[in-house]
Amino acid sequence: MTLLKTATSNRGIIPNPLLVSAAAFLVLACASWLYLLFVADGGFRELFRGETWRQAGEFLGQLAGFGVEGTPAFLQWDKWMEAGTLAYDTLAMSVLAMGIAGVGALLTFLPAARNVAMGELASSASLPSRALYYLLRGLFIFSRGIPELIIAMIVVFAFSPGILAGAIALGIHNYGILGKLSAEVVEDLDPRSARALRTSGSSVFQMLAYGILPQALPQFLTYLLYRWEVVIRTTVVVGLVSAGGLGREFLLDMSLFRYTDVALLLVWYLILVVFVDLATMFLRRLAR
Amino acid sequence: MRPSTASTTSPQATRRRSSDFFRGRGFLTLLLVAALLWSLTSLSWGSSPVHPGGLGSIGQFFQAAIQPELSAGFLGLALSSAWKTIAYAVAGICLAVAMGLPLGILASGVLARRTRVRVPGVAGFRFLLGAMRAVHELIWAWFFVAAVGLSPAAAIFALAIPYAGILGRIYADFLNDVPAEPLRALRASGASETKVLLYGRLPMALPDMLSYTFYRFECAIRSAAIMGFVGVGGLGMQIQLSLSDLYFNEVWTLLYVLVGLVLIVDLWSSWVRRYLTS
Repeated sequence: MTLLKTATSNRGIIPNPLLVSAAAFLVLACASWLYLLFVADGGFRELFRGETWRQAGEFLGQLAGFGVEGTPAFLQWDKWMEAGTLAYDTLAMSVLAMGIAGVGALLTFLPAARNVAMGELASSASLPSRALYYLLRGLFIFSRGIPELIIAMIVVFAFSPGILAGAIALGIHNYGILGKLSAEVVEDLDPRSARALRTSGSSVFQMLAYGILPQALPQFLTYLLYRWEVVIRTTVVVGLVSAGGLGREFLLDMSLFRYTDVALLLVWYLILVVFVDLATMFLRRLAR
Repeated sequence: MRPSTASTTSPQATRRRSSDFFRGRGFLTLLLVAALLWSLTSLSWGSSPVHPGGLGSIGQFFQAAIQPELSAGFLGLALSSAWKTIAYAVAGICLAVAMGLPLGILASGVLARRTRVRVPGVAGFRFLLGAMRAVHELIWAWFFVAAVGLSPAAAIFALAIPYAGILGRIYADFLNDVPAEPLRALRASGASETKVLLYGRLPMALPDMLSYTFYRFECAIRSAAIMGFVGVGGLGMQIQLSLSDLYFNEVWTLLYVLVGLVLIVDLWSSWVRRYLTS
């Protein structure tokens, strides 16, 4: 482990982060497993019983349509079309969510970068720009730290259930992620071209527009596309709460034990995931 | 640096040939704007998007942010459910690494020298990993609950399966992307592919693999928290209970604890990552 060796020789007194982290994680892992296996009823013993596996097999059989009365949903054309409309709504919800997150992040990521707000790229480290920096960073932390599903539960207090409510919840969460990632891109940029612009007499605005943005935007677009791949998976889950798209129908069919309908929704879900993966692969080539 | 490629209206973009335009960022921007406009058309514009009185309850919700519930009893509940969430996340990520590492090695195809074995192996295992991560952890959880009943074990496996899919795919990429020269030296001195993996690829890919796993651990805490939706205890379930009782002050206490947890893991992982990349 050359990694560990160089670390101890270079740093001396400062504890090696890797060793400390490994030890801390080991303690955490032991504590968690002991808690789950012995203190709380983790239910791991049930997993190794024949009865459990028989139940699981039965469930899978029901998904595939064995022992179900009537025609399975995935053999009915109109059910395909119905679920297809919901899939269309789900796709729209994910795009709208990325729009909200993208526009929000695009408007705020520059003042949230440390070097723009108070570092070498700032005109002066004025109090408002400092305050704005901390405000935005706090906003990023909050919107990023709270899962989409919980934001959705809060959003439906004010908004009627539907595509918009789900898109807002997803948008808020991804705004935090996109904002943080793109602010970090600006912080890691090579400052020389911006500094050259500044010394040749351009204003702060011109420096940001011609020195910083062109370097940061391709990376921003890549992150946007990468998040879209993640968001399309989560859209279905947020739909459980916000009642938009495939999620609502999924909730209904699961609680009514209409398992062949669930299987059909799952097929549409996978079609969406594959479609978005292919689309981002194509779009990412444009961003380069 | 070309300063104007990011906007469609820039003179440089219009000056370029149209065939170039369809391969550039201008076209991408146009596509993204068009997609956003299309998504707006699928909203129902007729009815009001806001509940009558909905803004009032959102106002109450944000007012509660400055006075979270801080009684000793509730703080105890918040901390014990935070511990549950941490335990699920840690156990889940352990299982995910245990499944993802062997699958990732198999999906990278580094152990097979002959093409006839490697190509179908890589395709098969990559497809398996893709299928594992395509389905969201909450959907997995729901299936587990329907199939084997409600228990923390179900939540942990539901968390571990998609995370193993993600980790395995990334591990496979990292193992493939290590520089080739040291590996060639190992092979020249007679090492088998297994030895090349153990003494060449794994040590070289380890820093990247570690820092990505750490990032995923932060995500696992959030994922473990939402398992409350299928009835598994922890922060998510408490948030849901307090929300449905309209105890917004309690909700904020739990939210602060959750955000604090995520922040701690984030700081921890960026501390390690800064060390690994320096």
